[in-house]
Parts: sequence; C-alpha cells; structure tokens
Amino acid sequence: MVREIKLALAFAAIVAVIGLQSSSYAQEGGKQSKTLETGTFHGKVHQTSGRATIYQEPDGKLILRLTNFKTSNGPDVHVILVALKDADDDANFLKTNTERVELGKLKGNEGDQNYTIPSGTDLSKFQAVSIYCERFDANFGAAPLQKF
Amino acid sequence: MTGAAASWLLRKMWILAAVGVLVLILAWWVFRPEKLWVNQKVDEPAPFASSSDPQPLYTGLLTGKAHPTSGRASIYQAPDGKRNLRLTDFATSNGPDVHVLLAQSTDQNLTKEFVKGELDSVELGSLKANQGDQNYDLPDSVDLGKYDDVVIYCERFHAVFGVAKLERF
Repeated sequence: MVREIKLALAFAAIVAVIGLQSSSYAQEGGKQSKTLETGTFHGKVHQTSGRATIYQEPDGKLILRLTNFKTSNGPDVHVILVALKDADDDANFLKTNTERVELGKLKGNEGDQNYTIPSGTDLSKFQAVSIYCERFDANFGAAPLQKF
Repeated sequence: MTGAAASWLLRKMWILAAVGVLVLILAWWVFRPEKLWVNQKVDEPAPFASSSDPQPLYTGLLTGKAHPTSGRASIYQAPDGKRNLRLTDFATSNGPDVHVLLAQSTDQNLTKEFVKGELDSVELGSLKANQGDQNYDLPDSVDLGKYDDVVIYCERFHAVFGVAKLERF
C-alpha cells in the first residue's frame, strides 16, 4: 500500500513538472506581440521619413509605433489614421471629409514613439497613417500600411 | 502744439504699440516659427519586452518583373547575430532553376526583365517553392547596405521574376 502511494506521488510529481513546463512555455508564446502591418513615410507638405508599424499585444490592444522617424516640428501636430490606401493627395486631402481616427498629439518630431489605437478600429478600412497639422489642415507626411 | 494734443498723440502711440505686441504674440502662437529650429526628440521603447526571438532588420514588398511576383521579403537577425531572409505571403510563377539572390538596387540590370551578362549578386539558394512562407540563411559576410535588393531570379534564362527593395525596419 505504502509502495503504491509512493509510486502515485512520484507519478504525480512527474506530471506536475511536465504540466508546469508546458504551461510556462505557453505563457511565453502568449507574451509575444504580433506585427500586423508596416509601411514607410513619404513627405508631403514637410519632409517626413521613417517607418510606421502596427503591433497587436497579447491582450488584443493595437499599438502604432513610429521608428527612425523624422518630420519638421510644427504647431498642433497630430497622428491620425485615415480611411484611404495612402494619403497621397495634396495638403488638403482632409477637407474632403475623409474618415479619420485620432491617435493623439505627435510626441516628438524625431525618434521612436508609440500610440495606442482605439479598440474597435477597423484596420482594413484605415490603411494609412498621416502626420497632420490640425491648425493649418496640412498633411506633413503619410505612410501607407501593408500586411507584414 | 498744445499739451493736450501731444498727450493724445502719445496715448495713440501707446495703444498702437500695445495692439502691435498683441498681434505679434498671436502670430507667434499661430505659427510657432521657433519650431522650425527647435527639435523635439523622443525615444520610447518598443511596446513589447525585449525578446529572444529574431528581430526584423529590413523589409520590403516584392514586385513582379518577368513574371507576376508578390509578397514580403524581410531580413531577421537572431540574438546570436545570425541573419536570414524570410519570404511571407509569397507567390511567383514556377520555373526552371529559380534562385533567391541579393543584388544592388542601383544595378541597371534589375530595371529590365532579362539580365545581359552576369548579375553582381549574393546567392542565397534555390527557390524552395513558388508559393508560401520560406526562410533562407544569409552568409555572415554579406553587406546589406550594399546588397539591398532581394531578387527572384531564373538562372537558366537570366530572367528577373521579381524584386523587393529592402528598407530599414
């Protein structure tokens, strides 16, 4: 009887170790954020360059990240998503009532930066990022996004 | 000139000056001209913890030349420094003796569908399949600043199936 209990305990220990290993592995896999889309900026009203990438965090949250980013400084500059393939029109493309999603004020005109995309944003519809000067309704630069 | 007239003139000048200053402040607030010279730098970390997985260094989209070719070509680097090329959403036409090469985007040969003579390139191997995600090891020595184009190339007919210009990720 004692021998059977010992055996059962040993077996339980082995199962527990295997179980722990697989669950910690699964957790590590789940921590990865996924790269969904990416594209490079082209300047419009002002010289703008760098890359825009959309990541999805494990909890489903969408993040726009700008890297190697550079544009000119300006007043009241915002980062927006626009319901276009590319904001290739002139500075006033936004006067045509193109739908947009506001992501916030531009944090810096140079450097890597992240913006949270509101949940429920349809990325198949909003396919371009624009650096947008609200005061003068000017499109500093835009990046069309493509599947990564 | 009487004293009253002089003081009226003085007051008018003061009002003009005050209005001028206000206009200047307003114009400054609207245009913020100093921002032309003042940069605002940020350096936020990536929205994910540093990972032991290979990280993308370069990426670009494939465009077809001699044959319709589409998909994405990305260069990844593993933590040990090893680099590889990964093709995703990839599709090209099947063909004989098709290879994956790195070449220079400045090479005039790549503007045409067929290459005359030899293409200055780095061989990455035979194309594993004409559709689907696939990986190719990069030689340690290859300079991606110089060889910045991924080329799907048919050696037998010197045909450029497709090209992707690599840009920094």
